[in-house]
Amino acid sequence: MSRQHRTAASEPEPSAGKAEPDRIHLRIRRQDRPESRPYWQDFAIPYQPDHNVVSALLVLRADPVTIAGERVEPVAWERNCMEEVCGSCAMLVNGVPRPACSALVDSLAQPIALEPLPKFPVVRDLVVDRSRMDRTLAQVKAWIQIDGAWDTHAPAPRTSQAEWAANYLYSRCMSCGCCMAACPQFGPHADFVGPAPLAQVRLMNAHPTGRYDRVDRLHAIMGEGGLSDCGNAQNCVRVCPKAIPLTTAIGELGRQTTLQALRDLLG
Amino acid sequence: MTASIENSHFLLRRLHSLLGLVPVGAFLVFHLWENSQSRFGAAHYNGEVVAFLQGMNYLTVIELLVIALPLAFHAGYGLLILPQMRLEPRRYPYARNWLYGLQRVSGVGILLFLLVHVGTTRIQGLWQPAIRADLYGHMQALLSEPWMLGLYAAGLLLSVFHLANGLATMGIVWGLTASVQAQRIFGYGCLTFGLVLAAIGIQGLLGFLP
Ligand code: SF4
Repeated sequence: MSRQHRTAASEPEPSAGKAEPDRIHLRIRRQDRPESRPYWQDFAIPYQPDHNVVSALLVLRADPVTIAGERVEPVAWERNCMEEVCGSCAMLVNGVPRPACSALVDSLAQPIALEPLPKFPVVRDLVVDRSRMDRTLAQVKAWIQIDGAWDTHAPAPRTSQAEWAANYLYSRCMSCGCCMAACPQFGPHADFVGPAPLAQVRLMNAHPTGRYDRVDRLHAIMGEGGLSDCGNAQNCVRVCPKAIPLTTAIGELGRQTTLQALRDLLG
Repeated sequence: MTASIENSHFLLRRLHSLLGLVPVGAFLVFHLWENSQSRFGAAHYNGEVVAFLQGMNYLTVIELLVIALPLAFHAGYGLLILPQMRLEPRRYPYARNWLYGLQRVSGVGILLFLLVHVGTTRIQGLWQPAIRADLYGHMQALLSEPWMLGLYAAGLLLSVFHLANGLATMGIVWGLTASVQAQRIFGYGCLTFGLVLAAIGIQGLLGFLP
């Protein structure tokens, strides 16, 4: 389907709708080095329907000239999959943490303000260092040990359809960090691991093989920076682009840790 | 393995949570119900309600162990974790985010109110026997000042909010409510509880007015 055809088909009466903008106005918070001061720059690219923020940034990179006419260093940002599964392009779009690739320009108010994902250290422009996510996933043992005292040729353990459906929700996490950016308890000031690693504990603890390390994971989230540091503000579940039921995971882990503490106390 | 016991982080935080409900929250419910009897007048309030409490065996020990110490721990630990908050209510204007912030702000407000409240009643009564002999009259004199009545109403409503909202989040913390629906239903239950308790408390305040 050609673009002309689609535009003609979806366009309202010229008198009824507002005029199609002739440009896309981007207001980007830039930062040259991790320690340098951030500053704002305004850019405009020609309007095209169906742009998303990543594709708009790609167009901008070809000709990085500000609205004031100054040619500047191209904007640095991260991207990979372009289909909201890798999580690398998460940033603040008009003040909201979300993946840039699924932020459709036609649905955004202009100028579109782009800022690096908060709470994580800025590397450059819109690139942040999310290695804290890796460290916290390791801290809560968000992995499954596949080596063990069982026959590796045995068929995989069975999981009921209902259990599988519930677990699947958590398996969609792409470590984008939006939930942590929105969490009022997470940040450089605190050692809270944040919602996403907790949800992975919920997932791994339910896994037929992963459940063997359940107690280790629960003990990990019962320590500093663990589950107790959650303040139940529940912003995480509102901003998660994959609609992961983070607050349900936190409630279920509350239950698991309550029982685990009783086991630890009473044997 | 007993890793969660060797590391006190979890147990302290859960103790803070538990003490907020029992005994501190339970005492608030009792206290507001008890004082709602102010509407029966000075003779009943001084002669029945206060006299019964003052005549209790081991009263000072109970006051210290069941009220003062748990409250001090709950408040102290609350102040300790308060600086973790990085509230952004404009960016995330969701109800639960507001409640999260209000829970912490109300905690500080309650603490300031309690300094005034306990100071001008129980503590002052230690060296002014007249206060203990006619608590009703003392409260009437206090609450006749409009600003003091406002302060009491604010302290009362903050306390009731803190208990009701704390109860709702306790459901998640302890794992009673996990699903969104369960959390919502329990949340409305806590809201109803809070409204009833606030009504009882306000009635008690008004009962002291001449
Ligand atoms: S839980 Fe959601 S918001 Fe958090 S990292 Fe995973 S996908 Fe991103």
